[in-house]
Amino acid sequence: MSWETVIGLEIHVQLSTKSKLFSGGSTEFGAESNTHVDLIDMGLPGVLPVANREAFYKAIRFGLAIGAEINQTSTFDRKNYFYPDLPKGYQITQMTKPIVEKGSIKIVIDNEEKVINITRAHLEEDAGKSIHDLFEGETGVDLNRAGTPLLEIVSEPEISSAKEAVAYFKAIRQLVTFLDICDGNMAEGSMRCDVNVSIKKTNESELGTRAELKNINSFKFIEKAINYEIDRQIRVLENGESVVQETRLYDSEKNETRSMRSKEEANDYRYFPCPDLLPVVISDDELKEIISNLPELPEEKEKKYISEIGLEESEAKIISSSKTMANMFEQASSKTNDAKLVARWLVGDVSALLNKENIEIDESNLSAENFGKLIERISDNTISGKIAKSVLEEIWENGSDVDEIIESKGLVQIQDESLLEEIANKIIKSNPEQVLAYKGGKDKLFGFFVGQVMKETQGKANPKSVNKILKKLLS
Amino acid sequence: MDKKTVTTISYLSRLKIDAEKEDKIINDLDNIIAFVDQLNDADTNNIEPLSNPLEKTAKTRKDDVTAKNLKKELLEIAPSSNEDYFLVPRVVE
Amino acid sequence: MTIKYKSIKEIKKMISNKEISNVEIVNEVFKNITENEHLNAFITLNEEDSIKKALYLDNNPSDLALSGIPVAQKDLFCTKGLRTTCGSNILNNFIPPYSATVIENLESAGCISVGKTNMDEFAMGSSNETSFFGNVQNPWGENLVPGGSSGGSAAVVAAGIVPAASGTDTGGSIRQPASLCGITGLKPTYGRISRWGMIAFASSLDQAGPMARSAEDCAIILNEMCSHDEKDTTSLNENIPNFQKHLNESLKGKKIGIVKDLDLSSLDNEVVKVYEESLNEFTSLGAELVDITLPNLSLSVPTYYVIAPAECSSNLSRFDGVKFGRRSENPKNLEELYVQTRSEGFGDEVKRRILIGSYVLSAGYYDAYYKKAQQVRRLIKNDFDSAFTKVDVIMTPTTRGTAFEMGSKGSDPIQMYLEDLFTISANLAGLPAMSLPNGNIDNKPLGLQIIGNFLDESSILNFAHMYQNVTNWHMHTPDGLRK
Repeated sequence: MSWETVIGLEIHVQLSTKSKLFSGGSTEFGAESNTHVDLIDMGLPGVLPVANREAFYKAIRFGLAIGAEINQTSTFDRKNYFYPDLPKGYQITQMTKPIVEKGSIKIVIDNEEKVINITRAHLEEDAGKSIHDLFEGETGVDLNRAGTPLLEIVSEPEISSAKEAVAYFKAIRQLVTFLDICDGNMAEGSMRCDVNVSIKKTNESELGTRAELKNINSFKFIEKAINYEIDRQIRVLENGESVVQETRLYDSEKNETRSMRSKEEANDYRYFPCPDLLPVVISDDELKEIISNLPELPEEKEKKYISEIGLEESEAKIISSSKTMANMFEQASSKTNDAKLVARWLVGDVSALLNKENIEIDESNLSAENFGKLIERISDNTISGKIAKSVLEEIWENGSDVDEIIESKGLVQIQDESLLEEIANKIIKSNPEQVLAYKGGKDKLFGFFVGQVMKETQGKANPKSVNKILKKLLS
Repeated sequence: MDKKTVTTISYLSRLKIDAEKEDKIINDLDNIIAFVDQLNDADTNNIEPLSNPLEKTAKTRKDDVTAKNLKKELLEIAPSSNEDYFLVPRVVE
Repeated sequence: MTIKYKSIKEIKKMISNKEISNVEIVNEVFKNITENEHLNAFITLNEEDSIKKALYLDNNPSDLALSGIPVAQKDLFCTKGLRTTCGSNILNNFIPPYSATVIENLESAGCISVGKTNMDEFAMGSSNETSFFGNVQNPWGENLVPGGSSGGSAAVVAAGIVPAASGTDTGGSIRQPASLCGITGLKPTYGRISRWGMIAFASSLDQAGPMARSAEDCAIILNEMCSHDEKDTTSLNENIPNFQKHLNESLKGKKIGIVKDLDLSSLDNEVVKVYEESLNEFTSLGAELVDITLPNLSLSVPTYYVIAPAECSSNLSRFDGVKFGRRSENPKNLEELYVQTRSEGFGDEVKRRILIGSYVLSAGYYDAYYKKAQQVRRLIKNDFDSAFTKVDVIMTPTTRGTAFEMGSKGSDPIQMYLEDLFTISANLAGLPAMSLPNGNIDNKPLGLQIIGNFLDESSILNFAHMYQNVTNWHMHTPDGLRK
């Protein structure tokens, strides 16, 4: 029998506001436990929420970027449930009138584009953190995160494989970082997702019963968890049993999902309009202002890089794929006249170094200014490409200035052709056999002579001049 | 309003109903629900629900951090805490 | 010299004339509190701080509006460093790290908060019988309830212990006890006074207000209670008038709405007589009676008993034994912690309302109950809107009768709910409303309710003050008529 998978994602994006959604508490990550807890975050008797307007602006940026409808009047509801890290016993969220509805985003799978529709994106408050493994017999609660603004992005169930789910998640991550509304830091939990998975027989129109996989926070685990869950559901169905609608937790150590019965018993959240919060209205002027300040998005950048700068499509794609890359490219290009060379180095040597260390470019020692200068020194022939590689490596190590490295190590390219000719002559004289072989038709030996000259000059010879001189002397 | 409904809503509310009071409570709740069923007399076709008497829009705040570090005071009023956390019996997931 | 039964103005004059010192006032208050211990009107006293503040004021006389005026605060307002229980076992040990805006406003106007008054648990009740801390005794008679939920506040003003107290009103909790204790109490427009620091019962209905011996004193207190508060986004940014300004305006030509839909036939003849006599008083002051209709008024109690429990079921979820308040002993696991803490911490009426609230919000019932009630709420508000195009104020009795005996409402909650028949609609519509003494039956006081248009507390105060200029019902005390 053949099965089809239907997946929907709920991605929780922590918005990068300074303060919380309903209080003046700080959203800073990694602070000492319970130091960023305002009276409001604590849910003390008598406290009242006051909404942070910036969170709306950030949500609207996302909505505009996915071509969605923006509800200029949006309202808040309460979702009621008990949990120790939910201080009020309810979460304030947007059930009936979310700020963003009906958008879409493009993903690319095996070189084919696919559009995933986004049902809604709504504002809500994050919960605190429960720490289960620190104390004997007790769970510790840290409310620092409680009240941090989240944008929950809900996709239509239009994703049909784990791979697509990952591509979708990556596309959202790319977008929110470009929009500067989230730092995209998965390790710090800035983006987390719940995945709804169901399977149905091919050709059947009705969706199968779905299971919800909770709180997955890495690309790798999304893929693994979904694949595990698909296999599990197929097994269940092929055994003639039925899938239970439930919440399941992915255990990355065992690579399996398991039922969270505790969450199942209470699934009547009794949503109702939050009586403490009146509708928030965003004016036409505010909306116009947000539209006019919307940053350039990856797709636009890619097009611009190809048509205006003349990059290869593959280069343009890689550079526009991440905000930090695009920033590096644009800033470094402004320091030199050779943007194409910047692109080549960025996609080549720089990317190789990044991949080796598995870091983002803004985490490296390479500044845009220094990088631009490096490219400039290549294109003005101060140093050769080969030397540039070693300079890049040095920058990578300690972030030193390009010109200082060149000067202190005496790396300036030898341009003096009479000097180079002298050296070339010396090489030719001391290698008569190779000269004979070359002249006898062994063309490949030309490289040998180039190498020898470079060796003699510690790589500083201008390769173009060396080529020219050797050709002349050996002809 | 039957026993099962009362069991469900008392679970949702995290309230335990004493066995000896159960009948009385079910009866009270039943009466109250019957009483509020009078609302069915009203014709509310096309009437927009009113959730707050102020038909105004919300005042909002600027994105400023104004909170102080209240860790010590807040952990102090908690029924159970150590120097760093609020504590509850171990939650198993 | 004594401040017993004196008005705020009189006490301020006594202080400025040095007839009495601030410390003497505080000492008298605490002596009276002790002598009236049987009233059980206070949950927590604030004696030490009160004396300190009085001493300070003696050394640094001020002309602040409430300088040296002893005020009792309902135990629903958070008071920094002073236990705040909301009448509940679950907050038996709760000492807030902050104060309500109302408390801050009153105290910075110079008042001395002498203690926290007893109340129905979480303000849910009409007789003060649901308090964890026991019944409050109505000073007008042994075994009589003071009304609720602001029963302690009403009792201490009625007994002359303090000239004024703060109260809160969600469905009548200022006006009904004011009526049963023979004092004057005002629930302002929803949003007039910040709710920051008021422990929420039903957020879209709750409003704080003054309870005192006269409309004039209510106006003085109200002036200080109001402020624009950024911490409560449902507090209004409207201009705050001087509420004393229009007290003495002539009532000539002003219109009083008389609700034709109100069925007074179920009330005692004497109650109706008291009501009609006070209307006559107003017509002789030049006001005109105009018939109005509020067709959906009879639905206000059922509407309220959907909306208020729904909001309370959610508002009271934070009392879970995790971050503050009481926790049950040795819970085996988290579930037990929640269930035992809440089952031990809440009384029967609070539990009943939480259950009803959970029910009307639960899947499958939301539309039939909660949404329906919100729609009827709009109908009720619309009724008032059109009535106020014709009249300046609306008058009704505040209560169905005088103070009743403790335990007399039996165990049927609906009988108690109907106590609020006349008062609830003002909360649903967010309108200001007052109760003021307008008669006496068998030496038990009774109140008249004046409902005003949105933000028009001034008209209510004007009508009430003019009435109190020509009548002396507000001068009746449990000790007899005040000279």
